[in-house]
Amino acid sequence: MSSTASTASTTAVPAAPRVARTATGTDTLRLRWGRRLQHGGWFVTPFFVLYGLFVLVPIVRGLYLSFTDANISGDHTSFIGLDNYREALQDDLVWQSLWHSVKFTLWVVPLIVVLALLMALIAHHTVHFKWLWRFCFFAPFLLPSAVVANLWYWLFQPVNGLVNHTLGLDTPWLTQKSTALLASVIATLWWTVGFSFLLYLAALQNIPQHLYEAAELDGANAFQRMIHITVPNLRNITGLVVALQILASLQVYDQVVIMFQFGSGPESSTRTFVQYMIEQGFTSYRVGYASAISMILFIIVAAVALARMWLLRTREEATR
Amino acid sequence: MGRPGLSRRQLLGTASGLAVAASFGFAALGTGADALTSSARTRVRYWNLFSGGDGANMQAMVDAFHAAHPDTDVKASTLTWGDPYYTKLAMAAAGNRAPDLAVMHQGRVPGFAPGRLLDPWDIGKLAEHGVREADFNPTLWKRGIVGGELYALPLDVHVQLNFYRKDVCRKAGLLDADGRLPHAASEDDWFAMLKAAKAKLKGGLQTLGMHANDQNFSWWFFVAFYQQLGGGYFDAGQTGVVFDTDKATRVLEFLRKHVTDGYAIAGSDDAAMFLAGAPFVWEGDWSVPVYTPAKIDYGATPLPPVFGTPGTHAESHSFVLPHQTGRGGATNEGAYALAAYLVKNAATWAQGGHVPAYLPTFKDPAYTKLSPQREYSQDAMRHLATEPHIWFAGSTGTLSKRVGPLIAGSNLGSTKPDATARAMKSALEALLASKNPMDGRTAAQELKGAGA
Amino acid sequence: MTSTTPRAVRGPRSTWTPAQIALTAIAAALSLLWIAPLFWALSTSLKTSTESVASPHWIPDHVTWDSWKGIFDAGNIPDWFVNSVVVSVCVTFVVLLVASLAGYGFARTEFRGKGVLLSLTMAGLMFSPAILGVPLFTTVQSLGMVDTYWGMILPQCAPAAMVYILYKFFQSLPKELEEAAFIDGAGRWRIFFTIVLPLSKPALSAVGIFTFIASWNNFLWPYMVTNNPDLMTMPNGIATVQNAFGIVWPQLMAGGLIAGLPLIIVFVFFQSQIVRGVAHTGLAGQ
Repeated sequence: MSSTASTASTTAVPAAPRVARTATGTDTLRLRWGRRLQHGGWFVTPFFVLYGLFVLVPIVRGLYLSFTDANISGDHTSFIGLDNYREALQDDLVWQSLWHSVKFTLWVVPLIVVLALLMALIAHHTVHFKWLWRFCFFAPFLLPSAVVANLWYWLFQPVNGLVNHTLGLDTPWLTQKSTALLASVIATLWWTVGFSFLLYLAALQNIPQHLYEAAELDGANAFQRMIHITVPNLRNITGLVVALQILASLQVYDQVVIMFQFGSGPESSTRTFVQYMIEQGFTSYRVGYASAISMILFIIVAAVALARMWLLRTREEATR
Repeated sequence: MGRPGLSRRQLLGTASGLAVAASFGFAALGTGADALTSSARTRVRYWNLFSGGDGANMQAMVDAFHAAHPDTDVKASTLTWGDPYYTKLAMAAAGNRAPDLAVMHQGRVPGFAPGRLLDPWDIGKLAEHGVREADFNPTLWKRGIVGGELYALPLDVHVQLNFYRKDVCRKAGLLDADGRLPHAASEDDWFAMLKAAKAKLKGGLQTLGMHANDQNFSWWFFVAFYQQLGGGYFDAGQTGVVFDTDKATRVLEFLRKHVTDGYAIAGSDDAAMFLAGAPFVWEGDWSVPVYTPAKIDYGATPLPPVFGTPGTHAESHSFVLPHQTGRGGATNEGAYALAAYLVKNAATWAQGGHVPAYLPTFKDPAYTKLSPQREYSQDAMRHLATEPHIWFAGSTGTLSKRVGPLIAGSNLGSTKPDATARAMKSALEALLASKNPMDGRTAAQELKGAGA
Repeated sequence: MTSTTPRAVRGPRSTWTPAQIALTAIAAALSLLWIAPLFWALSTSLKTSTESVASPHWIPDHVTWDSWKGIFDAGNIPDWFVNSVVVSVCVTFVVLLVASLAGYGFARTEFRGKGVLLSLTMAGLMFSPAILGVPLFTTVQSLGMVDTYWGMILPQCAPAAMVYILYKFFQSLPKELEEAAFIDGAGRWRIFFTIVLPLSKPALSAVGIFTFIASWNNFLWPYMVTNNPDLMTMPNGIATVQNAFGIVWPQLMAGGLIAGLPLIIVFVFFQSQIVRGVAHTGLAGQ
């Protein structure tokens, strides 16, 4: 019955039939095998054509453009050195939009971690209807961002919106500064928590059952088992969830921009960093400046990624 | 179980193989399903940003055009007004995939790289379709010209109006003998009117809807009242900012007073309140088709001339030809025919509240009987308050994006009016010093270049 | 399996312990809360436009399918749906092919420059579509692919993450099978297609499912690269093209459900595969 218990990260492979060989046979085999391997480059060629064209070239191009005053039509481009970066550091809207993205992240990440863990614990420990909980919690993740944004735009309508109606409020969620970004946080939470929930669920199912059984024999109660077995075993996955959510939240764009009709929200309180970059590139046509902003975004993202690698490494060394 | 399992697997395999093959085939054709199924010989791709009542009117006009020109199919696409529209139009033109005809706010034309992202209108060809300069308001026609070429063919002028409920105002004794609302000629007059109307208010409603927290409306209303005070933005050479912070502060204090005195409730649904019995709302003329079918007794005037001289914010929808290399042929002819048809048959369009740009429409009985259009249209056309004619201005342009939120913040009390005025001035200075990314020149350099 | 065996001995009655009942109730309440917005969308889509803006109620007084019919009668949604299918299917197919070849190439073959290419691929994991958006647009623009299907499809076909996942997977496969086939005289390519790929179904379906979901729901890139409403995909069209008659909530919700339902229906039928696929691709980041 518990097919869900089959782990997500390991995959069973049928045992390979043993091949009987003499020592010398193995050597010549290794030799011929190795020679064939020289042509392996062809395997990676298709990928690298696409990767080069649509990842590597744009990276180099973005770096180059960030030192120019290029516009969207592509002509009149001249090299202007570090001017774009200098301007960006002095641009209030760069800092303001960065702050909005950070604020969004500070809200979303802890909420997602807590809620996803809670959902996973509930779904893991109930005996019946597991599939139903899993379905309900994960289904919103399968919706396109535009659908999520439109749906919550409708739910948050001040008059006759479902949220206000249910809670008996008349809050103008989307048109006042104090709640606008929060509204997009709530929509995001509803939409994406299912993904982290599944990661937690898979991790819970990976905890060896015998640990719990041994603890039970030792007389540990449910709470103690949770603290001493479940929590330590979820540390890695929590690190992963936090890292993935930080990276995704810092780059938030779709749902926020669509919920506010591609505007910047009440008193410009919802313009995110990526939104400002895209406004500069595609609305103000300043491709060069937008490229500089995306390079700044890259530095932020890379810093987060490297910080995580560093944390993982120090922890590994500590446990060794 | 073996056989059915096998055949089901085969079926699945075949089906997914077919799906993959079909998808690749479709992608290779590359035109999309709609273009494949269109049977007309010429297909004019026409982009606009009209929704609501405007959308319905435009659809009716396009259908009428198609009935008159059965050989020409019009693929009308309505994109979301604001950033998506202008962004997509610019990118389509830059990527050389532009539609044949598009609508643009006239104020956006100087910043839209005329000559590079836009193609000029051929005056001779327009004349063949019966569209001549003499049939337009000269100010309006001239605003469409950049560097001696016509880029924007005006369809209408749309203005900000003071809508009033006749039933409520009558009870408050505000209407004149003709049953119309007289112009409030000073701030005191205006607030006296509001006070009188507020006394007759039903519970839970506001007296005036003014979109106090909306950055676009806030900017438009500012433009109107600031012009009433005679304030300017830039000097003639576009080298310096002449923004008058004292006048701006007066306007901002005037706007803010509506909120502090409790006449306007920020964040309320202004149109719904007006329909429910709120006496006043400031809205664009495009609200006419929202209010007229609701069978309420209402009128509309330009924004009140509280600072002495009349003036109300105006912008114009106009037709542009997005840049196509090698523009010409049947689709180009179709674009001219469509634009000319729409401009000349503006009586339908005027049902949407807009003031037609094509002057002969004013003699069309179908137009003159429209109410409340006849109450405001002549007056508004004479006193247009427009944004400065500069590359960063225009509907949802950079200028309004920068200063709009400042004004809304002042309306809501987040910043003091005088501080807001100073912040607006420095925003204007920064914009004037910045270079138009399209040609790498500042506004002053552009002006000199065009004059030379 | 281990978790259920001890309980089974005690008999079916004991599964409904008070704790279980409480836990199930909490789970049900939370699930209801989570699924409610979707039911609200469905309920709205079955109302008339006037009823939709009246005081909220769950069961329409007057069920009407007009909004759903309206989608098929007029408007762009059927076109966008076809476009979404075309783009997602092509992207998934190309990604599966290209990423499995590359993953295998890195895992099992030696060639000059392999180390450099592998680290280049790893470095690519840090560049998200948001970071690359602007320069990617100018690149695709200079290739003349703005407003084309290929412009939408191809840039989504170079996911370093998928190569990495398959690379790790192929490394975990035992070498013996391939060596046996090699002795029988099979070539590299034949080994890959006839032995390795069939063994890799779990990993391939995980990658395929994840790619399809990501591509179906991708907003940012199609938004940047398509302007012609004929060519838009569902998410892009829904967000940027308006009904000429303004916001009509039932139509908006019906359109949204049409964009969202295919994946949700697939999820109902292939729940465990999708769950495994998502968890697998997610966990690969560890």
